[in-house]
Amino acid sequence: MKLKPGSRLFAILLSGLLQSPDVAHAGDLVAPDRIGRLDAPKSFSFRVLTVHSNNNAQPKFAARMAALYEKYAHTHPDWRVNIQLMSLQIPQEHARLLEQARSGTAPDCSAVDSFEVPLFIRAGVLQPIDQYFTKEEIDDLFPFIRPIVSDAEGHIYAWWWTTDLRLLYRNMALVPDPPRTWQETKQAAMAAKRAAGPGLEGFLFNGGRNETTTVDFLPQFWAQGGKLVDERGTPVFGQEPNKTYLLNAIAFYRDLIQSGASPARVASISNYDDLTAASISGSAAMMVNGDWAMSQMRAAMKPETFAKWAVSMLPGPTADQRSTASGGWTFASFSKDPVKVKACMDLVREVYMGPATEVLERLPTRQSEFNSLPMFRTDFYLQIKQYLKLGQARPGLPIYTEISNRLQIAISEALAGTRTPEAAVDEAVDQVAKAAARYQ
Amino acid sequence: MTSAVKQGPRHQRSGGGRRGWRFDLDRHPVWWLFPLALLLTAFYLYPVLEVVRTSFTDATLLNSAYSYTLASYRSVLADSALPQIWLATVIFVAGSVIGQTTLGLLIALTLEAGFRRRLPGVRTVQVVVLATWIIPGVASAIIWQLLLSEANFGFFNAMLGLFSLSPVPWLSDAKVAIWSATLANIWRGTALSMILLYAGLKTISPGLYEAAAVDGATALQAFRYITLPRLRPALLINAVIVSVFSLNTFELVMPLTGGGPGRSTEVLALAAYNAVFHDFNLAQGSVLAVLMLLLNLAFTAVYWLTSRGLR
Amino acid sequence: MNSRARNEAIPIYLALALILLFFALPLFWLLSLSIRTPAEILIAEVRIVPHSPTLQNFVEVLGNQQFLGYLWNGVTLSVVGAACACVAAAPASYAFSRLKFPGKTQLLFAVLGFQMISPLVIMLPLYRYMHALGLTESHLGAALVYAAVAAPIATWTLKGSFDAIPEELEEAAMIDGCTRSQAFLRITLPIGLPGLASTFILTTMLGWSQFIVPFILLSQPDMLPISVGIFNFLGAYTGSATQLVAAASVLSLLPAVVIFLFFQKFVVGALTAGALKE
Repeated sequence: MKLKPGSRLFAILLSGLLQSPDVAHAGDLVAPDRIGRLDAPKSFSFRVLTVHSNNNAQPKFAARMAALYEKYAHTHPDWRVNIQLMSLQIPQEHARLLEQARSGTAPDCSAVDSFEVPLFIRAGVLQPIDQYFTKEEIDDLFPFIRPIVSDAEGHIYAWWWTTDLRLLYRNMALVPDPPRTWQETKQAAMAAKRAAGPGLEGFLFNGGRNETTTVDFLPQFWAQGGKLVDERGTPVFGQEPNKTYLLNAIAFYRDLIQSGASPARVASISNYDDLTAASISGSAAMMVNGDWAMSQMRAAMKPETFAKWAVSMLPGPTADQRSTASGGWTFASFSKDPVKVKACMDLVREVYMGPATEVLERLPTRQSEFNSLPMFRTDFYLQIKQYLKLGQARPGLPIYTEISNRLQIAISEALAGTRTPEAAVDEAVDQVAKAAARYQ
Repeated sequence: MTSAVKQGPRHQRSGGGRRGWRFDLDRHPVWWLFPLALLLTAFYLYPVLEVVRTSFTDATLLNSAYSYTLASYRSVLADSALPQIWLATVIFVAGSVIGQTTLGLLIALTLEAGFRRRLPGVRTVQVVVLATWIIPGVASAIIWQLLLSEANFGFFNAMLGLFSLSPVPWLSDAKVAIWSATLANIWRGTALSMILLYAGLKTISPGLYEAAAVDGATALQAFRYITLPRLRPALLINAVIVSVFSLNTFELVMPLTGGGPGRSTEVLALAAYNAVFHDFNLAQGSVLAVLMLLLNLAFTAVYWLTSRGLR
Repeated sequence: MNSRARNEAIPIYLALALILLFFALPLFWLLSLSIRTPAEILIAEVRIVPHSPTLQNFVEVLGNQQFLGYLWNGVTLSVVGAACACVAAAPASYAFSRLKFPGKTQLLFAVLGFQMISPLVIMLPLYRYMHALGLTESHLGAALVYAAVAAPIATWTLKGSFDAIPEELEEAAMIDGCTRSQAFLRITLPIGLPGLASTFILTTMLGWSQFIVPFILLSQPDMLPISVGIFNFLGAYTGSATQLVAAASVLSLLPAVVIFLFFQKFVVGALTAGALKE
C-alpha cells in the first residue's frame, strides 16, 4: 500500500508518540523519575545528570542505564529512588544545589561536578562517605582524585566515578610521528600545511573564553611544574617560577598562531565539537581533544579515513615534561539520615562505580577497572590508563573557578593581541588576589 | 436639559469627596492599581530589594556571613575593565534597539499591507519570524555558532567565499565580535518588535489613510505624516522593552563568545554572570545588576525625552 | 484594477522575500540539524541537506515520556501566568492612561523598574523567599512568579493600547450614568480587545521562553516546562545529541504557534474600525 508522503510522515510521528521506549520494558521497577517500586517503604531523592541516567536522550544509553537501575532495584527492594535531573549548565545547577543545601531542601544524593566538590565540602553541606567504600577501592583511585574529594583530615565526601582526559589527536597521513615537544608540534603543523596546501589548519585547540580553554591549557603549565595555588590554597601562579611557566605556555600558543601553525580562529573556538568537526572535515592535521572524540570520529568518518587518526599524550616543553587535565563527575550525599546516605552510596557502588562507565562508554576512575572491565582492555584504553597516571585535576579549591575565568581572559587577550601576555597575566594575578582576599 | 438634571445630583455627590464612597473606585487610582501592586509586592518585591540590599554588602555564595560595606561598589566602579564593559553593552543594546525596531517596523508594515490586500503567504512569513523568537535559546545559540563559525565550512564565510570575498573573523576579532553578537540578537528578538509595532499599526484608523489618498498623498507621505506620529507611543514602548531585554540577556553572547576575545563582548549581563558563578561574588553581581538597572532607566529616560521632544 | 493590484503586490512580496531570507535561513539550519543522524551532526561541510536525512530524531523526541509533559507544562505556566498578568495589569494600565494623580510617571517607571533587574541575580533571593512562603516545587508558585515577571510589560503595553482609544466614548457613557469601572468593562475593554490580545500573546510568548523562574523553583522532572526540559536533550560534549535538541526545538514550536494564531485573530478585530468611525 503506497501512502502519500504526508501520511507517511504522520504515521512515523504517530508511531513515535505511541512507541513505548525500552525503558518501560524494565517493568514496574524503573520509570523515568523512579527506581524501585512505587510502594517501597523507604525512599531517597537522587539528582543525576540526564546523560548519566535512564533519561539519556539516546535510547540505547537510556535502556542500558535502565537495566542497571533494575538490578539495583532487585537487590534493594525496600527502596524507592526519586530521580531528579540535572542539566549541563554547571554553574547555575551548582549554585541552585548549594542554595537548596543551605535551605535544607537539597536532594538526598546528587551528582556534583568534580571541580565544584571543594566548594561544597567547604560549605559543610556534604556527608562523609569513607565507611561505604573499602580501603582497596579508595586506594585504587587515580592519584589526582583523592586531594579533590577529601577534606584536610582525609575524609572523603564525594565518590568520583567517571573521568576524562585530553589527548593529542593527529592525522598520521600528515603527521606520522607523535610530536612530544612544543617545538615538534609547531614543526609538524607547519610541515603538514606545506604538504596539504591552503585550507589545512595545522594544530587546533580551544582558545576562546570557556572552561574548555583552561583545561586544554593547564597541562602545558603543569608539565613545567607550575602550581596555581599552594598547599594553603593561596594563589601563587603570579609568583616565580610559576609566572614564568605561565608566560612560557602562553608564548607557545602565540608562537603557534604567529608562525601560522594554528589559525587565528582558535581565539573563537570554545567547545570540543568544533574541533571534532574540523577533524571530520579533514581540515585539521592535529588537535587537542578529549578521549570521547574518538568514538565521535569513528561514527562520522569512513573507516579508512578514521584509521589514519591516532592519539598520543599532549606535548610538553620537553619530551619528559608532559601532563594532561582530567575532569569528571562525582556523587555526594546531603542527607543527614545515615540510612539514606548508605542507600545512596549503595547505588553509587553498584551502578556507577564500574558498570555505568562501561555502559555509557566513559572512563572509570579506578586503575583496576581498566583490567577488569572488558571494554577497557583494548590498546586505546590501556594507552589512556597510562596517561591518566600523569593526569592532573584542577585545584580542589573554590577559588579555582575565578582563577580559570581570569586565565581565560588573559589567554584570550594574548591570543587576540589586544594585550601583551605580561600585561594580561599581571591583570589576572591582580584580580585573583582581590578575590582571594575574600575567600579567607 | 435632561443631562443637566442628571449631572446635578451626581456632580454634587462626587464633588463632596468624603461623602461619595461608592465613587472612590472611579476617582482614586488606588483600587485600579491594587491588583498590580499586590502581585508585584507579593512575588517580585522582596527579591528585587534583596538584590539592591546585597549590593551594599560583601556577600558571597561561599558562606552565609556578610557585612555591610561600599567596597563592592568601589571595586566594580574602579575596575579597569568597566569602560570596555560599558562600551560593549551600549553597542549591543543600541544596535539591538535600532536593528529590531527598524526590522520590526518594516515587517509590521509589510504584514499590514499584505493582510489588507489578502495576499497569500503573509501569515506564513509572520509565523516564521515569530518562530525565531520562540525556539529555545539554546537552539538559537547552536544555529548562530554554525553560521558564524570561522572554520572553512562555517556558513557565512563559505557564502562569502562563493562570491570570492575573503572570510570575516566573526568571533575571533575583538572589534567584530560584538557586532556579530548584536546581529544574532537582532535576529532573535525582532519578532517582539513585530508584535508590538503591528499592534500599534492596528490602532491607526484606516479612514485616515483613505482621506489622505483622496487628498492625493503618496504612500511615503502617508507614512511620514499619519503613521509615524501615531506610532510614536508604540515605538517608545518598543524601544524601552527591547532595551530591557537586550540588557538582561546573555543567552546568546555566552555560547558565542563567552565575553571574549578578551573582554570585548563582555556585556554587563555576562559580567554579572561571571561575578556570581565564577567568583561566587553575590555582592558584586548585585552591584552589576544595580548598574544595569540604572543604565536601563537612563535609556528609558532618553527615549521618553526624545519622544516628548519630537512631539 | 487587476494589474494595479499586482503592481502593489510586487513590492510587498519583495519585502517578504527579503524578510524570509534573513529570518528563515538560519531556521533552515535548525531543520537541517533535526534531520541528521549522529554521524552527520558535527557539521563538517556546507550542506543544508545531509547525505542521509532521517526522521528518527523526531520519533525519539516524541517517544521520550517527558517531552509532551514539558510542552504541556510550558503551555499551562505561560498561559496562566500571562492571564494573571493581564488581569492585574488591565485596571492599572487604565488608571495610568485615564486618571491623573501625583507621581504617575514615577510609578510607571517604578513598575518598569521591576523588569530591569537582572533575572539571573534575582534567582537566589527568589528561591529563599518562595521557599519561606512554601511555594517552591509547585506550579501555583511558579505561575504567580511568571505573572509578576510579565506584569510590568503588560502594564506598559496595555497602557499604550488604552491611550489609543479616544476618551470621548467613555465620557459619553459616564455622562449617561455609568461609573468609570462600568465604562471600563463595557466600553474600553471590548474596544481594546486587539491590544489586550496582543499583550496576552506577548506575555505568553515571553513566558514560553522563561527559564530562570522554573529552573530555580521546580526540581521534579514532571513539572518542568520545555524551556528547562530542553536541556535534558543536550548530550554532554562527551556525546553530543544536538540533533535531538534541534528536533525537540522544532516540535516545541507547535504549541506556541497554535496559541499565537488563535489569539492573533483578536488582534485583527473589526471592532476598532467600527467604534472609531464616530
